[in-house]
Amino acid sequence: MTRLAVKSLWARRVRALTTTLAVVIGVAFVAGTYILTDTTFAAFDEIFSESLSKTDVVITARDEVEQETGEVPSFSATLLPKVRQVPGVRIAAGAIGTPGGFFDAENEAIGTPFAPKFITSVLPPALEAQTYVEGHRPRNRTEVSIDEGAAESADLELGETIKLASVERATPYRLVGLTRLGEATFGGASIAGLILPEAQRITDKRGEFDQISIAADEGVAEQTLRDRVQRIAPSSVLVETAAENAARNSDQIRDNLGFLRIALLIFAFVALFVGAFLIFNTFSITVAQRVSEFGMLRTLGAARRQILSSVVVEALAIGILGAAIGLAGGYAIALGLNGLFVAIGIDLPTTGLVTKTRTIVVAVLIGIGVTLVSSFVPALRSTRVPPIAAMQAIELPRSRRRGIVYATLAVLLGAAGMGLLLLGLFGSAEGGTAAGLMGAGAVAVILGVSLFSPRLVRPLASMAGRPLELLRRLIGRLARENTQRNPARTAVTAAALMIGLAVVAFVTVFAAGIKSSIASAVDDNFQGDLVIQNSDGFSPISPRTAEAAARVPGVELVSTLRSAKAKLLNGDGGEPRVSALDPNADEVLTIDWSEGGPSVLRRLTDREVILDKGFAEGNGFELGDRVRLLTQIGARPDLRVVGEFEDRADLLGSAIITQPLIARAFDQSDDTIDFVNLAPGADSQQVQDRIDRLLDRDFPIAAVRNQQELKENQEGQVNQLLGLIYALLALAVIVSLFGIANTLALSIHERTRELGMLRAIGMSRRQVRTMIRYEAVITALIGALLGMALGVVFAALIAQPLEDEGFALSYPVGILLLMLVFAALAGVVAAIAPARRASRLDVLDALHYE
Amino acid sequence: MSGPNGQVVVASGVTRRYGEGEAAVDALCGISTGFERGRFTAIMGPSGSGKSTLMHILAGLDRPTTGTVTLDGEEITGLDDAALTRLRRDKLGFVFQFFNLLPVLTAEENLVLPLSIAGRRPDREWLEQLIHTVGLADRRTHRPSELSGGQQQRVAVARALVSKPAVVFADEPTGNLDSKASEDVLRLLRQAVDEFGQTVIMVSHDPSAAAHADRLITLRDGAIVHDAVPGSADDVIELMKQID
Repeated sequence: MTRLAVKSLWARRVRALTTTLAVVIGVAFVAGTYILTDTTFAAFDEIFSESLSKTDVVITARDEVEQETGEVPSFSATLLPKVRQVPGVRIAAGAIGTPGGFFDAENEAIGTPFAPKFITSVLPPALEAQTYVEGHRPRNRTEVSIDEGAAESADLELGETIKLASVERATPYRLVGLTRLGEATFGGASIAGLILPEAQRITDKRGEFDQISIAADEGVAEQTLRDRVQRIAPSSVLVETAAENAARNSDQIRDNLGFLRIALLIFAFVALFVGAFLIFNTFSITVAQRVSEFGMLRTLGAARRQILSSVVVEALAIGILGAAIGLAGGYAIALGLNGLFVAIGIDLPTTGLVTKTRTIVVAVLIGIGVTLVSSFVPALRSTRVPPIAAMQAIELPRSRRRGIVYATLAVLLGAAGMGLLLLGLFGSAEGGTAAGLMGAGAVAVILGVSLFSPRLVRPLASMAGRPLELLRRLIGRLARENTQRNPARTAVTAAALMIGLAVVAFVTVFAAGIKSSIASAVDDNFQGDLVIQNSDGFSPISPRTAEAAARVPGVELVSTLRSAKAKLLNGDGGEPRVSALDPNADEVLTIDWSEGGPSVLRRLTDREVILDKGFAEGNGFELGDRVRLLTQIGARPDLRVVGEFEDRADLLGSAIITQPLIARAFDQSDDTIDFVNLAPGADSQQVQDRIDRLLDRDFPIAAVRNQQELKENQEGQVNQLLGLIYALLALAVIVSLFGIANTLALSIHERTRELGMLRAIGMSRRQVRTMIRYEAVITALIGALLGMALGVVFAALIAQPLEDEGFALSYPVGILLLMLVFAALAGVVAAIAPARRASRLDVLDALHYE
Repeated sequence: MSGPNGQVVVASGVTRRYGEGEAAVDALCGISTGFERGRFTAIMGPSGSGKSTLMHILAGLDRPTTGTVTLDGEEITGLDDAALTRLRRDKLGFVFQFFNLLPVLTAEENLVLPLSIAGRRPDREWLEQLIHTVGLADRRTHRPSELSGGQQQRVAVARALVSKPAVVFADEPTGNLDSKASEDVLRLLRQAVDEFGQTVIMVSHDPSAAAHADRLITLRDGAIVHDAVPGSADDVIELMKQID
């Protein structure tokens, strides 16, 4: 029977190949995700451990609360002389490693926007892990080194001038050295080196270090030295061996980038899910078409079990082949995904592609598992073929009860799915669990709708077919009737596209909601004329920026906003973001006060806090209550609640404190955003141009934007993310197109004689092609309509709990209509090959086809 | 409109060879004959005699290896697919053994299918006359699955007649019917010839079918061995015995 399975697979190899492709794409996506993320993590591991290759013990500031910006506190340089006295210390040096911005002579940013750029101080050669591939180390305040990757991408050569920007004004330096660190490339990230005093000056860390690197004397173990240093170090710093430090950094990166792997796996899952539909459908149709063959085998004495195993072996073969090709395809996907990320400015470090055993095992299991599971029902049906099927054409028994069972199952699944979704949304489950519940709910709803959809095929096909029938009466009519001939088959084919489009529609509607919410938040909250922010839209900028902008003619006042994350020690815990406002903030911001008013803000003291209403309610805080926080540097401010505000835009986070407090207790003196008000009568464009010139010269990291540009910038970021998601979903949509092509090919095969008759009585090749094309278009439109309806419903549901936070859903009707057009075009593409084949049928052969 | 001597289909020196070299089979070896307008011709012969091949070539569904076929004054042997499609659409009618109706269309829609394909409106009067002739006036909105085999084949005959073609080709039209239904279909074809002046060329191996024709051509091993007015069904059976 195995021989038979292999032979029948070979006889239908083209179809088997398209079926295999469905497995291949999903498996490749999973494998590619693992390969890419493993590679990225390996690259980070390499960078972290390599940078400490000559170091034995590292001192860094203790980081109590990890910040969104990734910045870590610095500590006093007075520790260094004490460390040098510790027995066993051969050499110790303080160093700077602070994010900044690099610019070439034309003021163009070096490196990609979202990758970190570090301004570092050069270490003594005994500790320095970087090697100089060209030139030499910086020797005075005017010299700089940069990693060769950045130099290459920005086309820099020794002797050129580059500008570094940090807290102090941007300063030009002469490039004197190109460095390399180990084997990994930094991606879009970059490292510049200055001599220590200059690095401390430009980052405004005079008398401070970000790190002390220590090398041990011969024969002194790392752990021993660490323990000795620990004894003389204050509790505000962390003393680690090099290995410990590298491992901690690696873990942190895995935490921070873990979401990336999960997000990619979700998209891979969507592609696999769609592939499963394709496999199910193809096997269902081929089993139906092979009824007489199975009947013949049964008359020859084959047992039901043997029939079953012949189909299962076929599925197994497809699964194994799909897994193998998919694994290989994983490398292409890994490279493709990386390219996609680079295109939108996320340029991650890379090293040689990493394939773990886990990747291979998962890929093989998924490939075989998905194929077996989705071919199981058709395989079971093949065993119900009676021997008589060899003699006469029979339909497989399809009892009336089945329809009712399916419909009941569909309704139950849909209801259960909805229940899970709502439980995830409104239940008490937190973060990951809630998302899991919602995901499982969505999958169940989709399965329910797919099971029910055969009943929807008739009306939907009539709806989708109407325009085609108006366009080409008979051909449109025939195409529509053909899609309605076997509603179950059309439904499953359409369902594959439905899944992809449900996600596309969901994301589109949701993103439209985010964009319109941003726009209304900007309109509602910003009274100011201009804002200055980091050109990436979220990283902090130097406080000197606001000081300089305040002196620009035509500027009346500049109000700054700083923010930091803290740990909440009482209430329900968590890590709220706190903001510090200038007392004059009410002149640039509209705050929606629910308790108190602008006077509370003007009189706010360092021992008081104003809370976001939702945050206060969630933690049971009322006016007069105490809020206890833990800050990044380990301070524990204890604050009294003196006011409450509603913050629909989530601009201010959970709490407002004073700027002296955020500087002292949080060590945060960089600005998140500066609001600029113009003097009466000043020309907005003129002032903006002046500030622009100032920023270009002294603070190139920052950008000045008017309200419109602010909205556009934020919307641009949403659009970029949306583009990325569309690209990731494209694979799932492509799989479903294969599904449409496959179903069409199979149904043309069944209708061979009918097509022969149509050709014999005068239908032209062109008319045949048009008919097949319309069938694909109608099927695609059914999938699109169902998918978009599901996506919109999901988006509306999930937006519900967000409405309190100022999220307003808006329906991008134009874009949704455009999606329908795209779906129809996708149908046309899917129909190319089948339509061609159908029109090329030899009339005589087709007429005599049995 | 007609060819020489009022003949609507003329085959001259038609041969058809399948395969090449040693394995080559000659299905037709030099057939020359004509078919007059308004006549009902039956082509018979044992299996493998070439009768189906001849019909396919006459209808432009297959090409002769040598020789020519002229249909309604037009030489069809050299036509390309598009021209042949147009020819079939405008000048030919077909009746098949397996009724070959579209299951998704009603009886009436199946009937007018050739006109719909051509994008023409049916002549209402003619259509009504046809529907009554085939006796399906009360079944026009039924789907093929709701019709008996005989009824389906009568729809197929009407479909072949609806565009008033130059020739109707019928390929074993009774091969799948019981004797009562066969009789109905054959009477219908006869009626088409007698009342509407239609030309019908039918391939069959049913002697009683041949008895309805004006002319009986008998083939054996790719050549015409007998060409005359058929007698009764019994006469035809006798003739076939002799040929075998």
